[in-house]
Amino acid sequence: MANHSTTTPAHLLHHYVDSDQQFDAAKLGMWIFIVTETLMFGGLFGAYIVYRVLYPELFTLASEELDTIMGSINTVVLIGSSLTVALAIKSAQVNNKRNIIINLAITLALACVFMIIKYFEYTHKFELGIFPGVYYEYGGIDHPQAHIFFSIYYMMTGLHGIHITIGIGLMIWLLVKASKNEFHSGYYTPVEIVGLYWHLVDIIWIFLFPLFYLID
Amino acid sequence: MSGHHSSSYKLLLSVAGALLALTVLTVVVHYMYIPEPYSIIIAVVIAVFKAALVALFFMNLYWDSRFNTMLFITAFVFLTLLVGITLLDVLSRDVPVPSF
Amino acid sequence: MATAEASSNISKVQVRRYKPEEYAEHNYLNVAKGLWSWLTSVDHKRIGILYLVTTTFFFLVGGVMALLLRIELWTPAQTFVDANTYNQLFTLHGAIMIFLFLVPSVPAVLGNFILPIQVGAKDMALPRLNLFSYYLYAIGSLIAVYSILHGGIDTGWTFYTPYSSQTGGAVTSLVFGVFVVGFSSILTAVNIIATIHKLRAPGITWSKLSLFGWSLYATSIIIILATPVLAITLLLLTMERIFGIGIFDPALGGDPILFQHFFWFYSHPAVYIMIVPGFGIVSEIVSTFTRKVIFGYWAIAISSLAIAFIGFLVWGHHMFVSGQASLASMVFSFLSFLVGIPTGIKIFNWLATMHRGSISLRTPLLYILGFLFLFTIGGFTGIALATLALDVHVHDTYYVVAHFHFVMVGGMVMAFMGGLHYWWPKMFGRMYNQAVAKIGCLLIFLGFNLTFMPQFIMGIQGMPRRYFNYIDQFQGLHQISTIGAFVLGIGFIIAIANFIMAIYKGKKAGANPWGSRALEWQIPSPVPPHNFDHIPVIIHGPYDYHQPMADFQLGLATNGHAPAHGAEISAEKQETEE
Repeated sequence: MANHSTTTPAHLLHHYVDSDQQFDAAKLGMWIFIVTETLMFGGLFGAYIVYRVLYPELFTLASEELDTIMGSINTVVLIGSSLTVALAIKSAQVNNKRNIIINLAITLALACVFMIIKYFEYTHKFELGIFPGVYYEYGGIDHPQAHIFFSIYYMMTGLHGIHITIGIGLMIWLLVKASKNEFHSGYYTPVEIVGLYWHLVDIIWIFLFPLFYLID
Repeated sequence: MSGHHSSSYKLLLSVAGALLALTVLTVVVHYMYIPEPYSIIIAVVIAVFKAALVALFFMNLYWDSRFNTMLFITAFVFLTLLVGITLLDVLSRDVPVPSF
Repeated sequence: MATAEASSNISKVQVRRYKPEEYAEHNYLNVAKGLWSWLTSVDHKRIGILYLVTTTFFFLVGGVMALLLRIELWTPAQTFVDANTYNQLFTLHGAIMIFLFLVPSVPAVLGNFILPIQVGAKDMALPRLNLFSYYLYAIGSLIAVYSILHGGIDTGWTFYTPYSSQTGGAVTSLVFGVFVVGFSSILTAVNIIATIHKLRAPGITWSKLSLFGWSLYATSIIIILATPVLAITLLLLTMERIFGIGIFDPALGGDPILFQHFFWFYSHPAVYIMIVPGFGIVSEIVSTFTRKVIFGYWAIAISSLAIAFIGFLVWGHHMFVSGQASLASMVFSFLSFLVGIPTGIKIFNWLATMHRGSISLRTPLLYILGFLFLFTIGGFTGIALATLALDVHVHDTYYVVAHFHFVMVGGMVMAFMGGLHYWWPKMFGRMYNQAVAKIGCLLIFLGFNLTFMPQFIMGIQGMPRRYFNYIDQFQGLHQISTIGAFVLGIGFIIAIANFIMAIYKGKKAGANPWGSRALEWQIPSPVPPHNFDHIPVIIHGPYDYHQPMADFQLGLATNGHAPAHGAEISAEKQETEE
């Protein structure tokens, strides 16, 4: 604009008037992306609902194979990581650079804990012979279409796990940036954006947990 | 309009506390073995509450531009359309396809 | 020098007017040289040109496949390719034209190039994301090319299960390519919405946003709501092929119709992803070449959104004979008729704009007249197809083929060609040869009708689509159609050659060769690197042909603070100094 009286901050792209406009545009972009993520998982939730309507008794039977305790622990882990992301943003807003790093590191650690628990859940099922689709060979569930339940289970938790993995990558990226002191109260857009993503992943798990683990 | 909002530590911690409490509640209700249609309804209602807490206070929708809230709600409206109209077909088919 | 005092709802703004230069010394084309500077540029204009080159390439590839199909159909039996190759050709023709050309063409080419200028911004809201989306498109299309070369695909572009989960060939890799291209269009849509919301220059209120902008906005909404469902459907199909997860396979207890529901939840709105941006181009061109205020601005703007919404309620009309419940079919049939209402509103508004206008029959308007004729036929036959009883008769016949080609080629491609002829002088600063352009337009129009009119007749007589052989009685009509396809192809070659010639030999076009009031014509051609030296203050809307041309000089806020973005600016008092 004609009124550039102050010096332009390093993070400001040339086509924005000020940092606020840039921050709002980035956040709006992320919210639109969240809409697409919601609908992408929504397709799987749709498939879940349709098959639950077609085979209602299958879901209650097969859900018994899932470990409610492990699922509950993972829920707590993800809620905790959501809190620490929110705290990281708060730390950036009050210019506490050390706390940004600490909170991001805790989030990263909790994300890894989630994946490790998921790994134990998956390997336990593979030992029983519960594989997706045509490779399914477990005899413990008295239902001809039992593999359908686990196909949906693997698709939904698998896609969610991929999102967690991407989140782990993003947290590492944020940690690198934070350790270079790039975030402060005037600029923390990447933390805010990744935070929104991470909360979305949390919300998806909040629905996955009861729909798979709490229906037997 | 500026989207910066800074919540107090107290608020963030109490939201997390509420989420944990709701998680415990939904697991406890699960072990009470409520009969079929009601158990899933209770579980989903609790999940909706938890998701709303995350969206409003962690994702700052409570203070943010109304347009972002509208976007998020729109996603669920169209998801309902997808699932609803598909179910209209699945439930009213004369011969459900999977049985042949 | 003129000064206008404008007021916003927050504060008074002093606006200084300045005349646009005809030519700028630096423009986006000469500011950096070399292929590398193009491939790494985050400038929305260069990304638009990159998209233009790539989509045109795939348009030609898909077009050559169409010609091969038409040659094969010259005789009732085998002409020169075997049946399996024929299946692969029509699959790839459809998949390439839809996913690699029609969906990205207007939003990613013209939208990228024109939209930021029309909202008075220096770039798209998220420029790096924009370049990233181009590379996703490039990677996705390379994967698609790889699939063509390694096995081919014979499922039809719809990938219906259970055939697609069992047939051989490169279905998995093509599906993955389409998945990646889908994310590219999602990111473009995110960018468009963020740009329209956050980067409108002071004075561009929602009621002064160009109708091209409105149509891109509606399109982007469809893209962000529909494309993710396609992504998950294709992911499920891939898993079906790799692990046999059985969700869409009746032999494993799955429901193949569920695939069709999910697929058409994207692919029907995708039809509007392809056509709605074309509507935006029509609004711009009709207003410019009739020198009239657009008739029914809000009706046109809101009907785009209405089409976007209703488009999500009608997908089941592709599944009338798929074994869908008759109740669902009836509901879908009824809802499908509703799409005709907002579309009709648009057609009548364009006609009303032209009524008693000062019409100048330049090439862009000729394309749009062709659009109005062909798209109206495409739309009406669509209404016919939405009729449940009739559709059972003509489903999967050439009637359907002719219908969607009238909408896609007769509507969308005509609008796209019109848009290219309209904005070409702005993009490259050179004017193409008018006479040659008109000949090209005429050949495209005639060739198109020659190709697809006979297909309506064949369809209603029962010629099924996608068939390799046909009975002798259809041979005459098929041969007319093949001749028409070649006329159409020659028309496109002439138009494209004319464009390329214009870049090298065309006369300099100047800033505003059409005398348009829209914002993109008030800056030099070709466009300077950052579009505007300063973010302008806009007084009048893009269709205010009742205002004198001098009022459309760019405004620049002079007194201290710039008005808030999107704030209401009105020229209260206008005084001339000097």
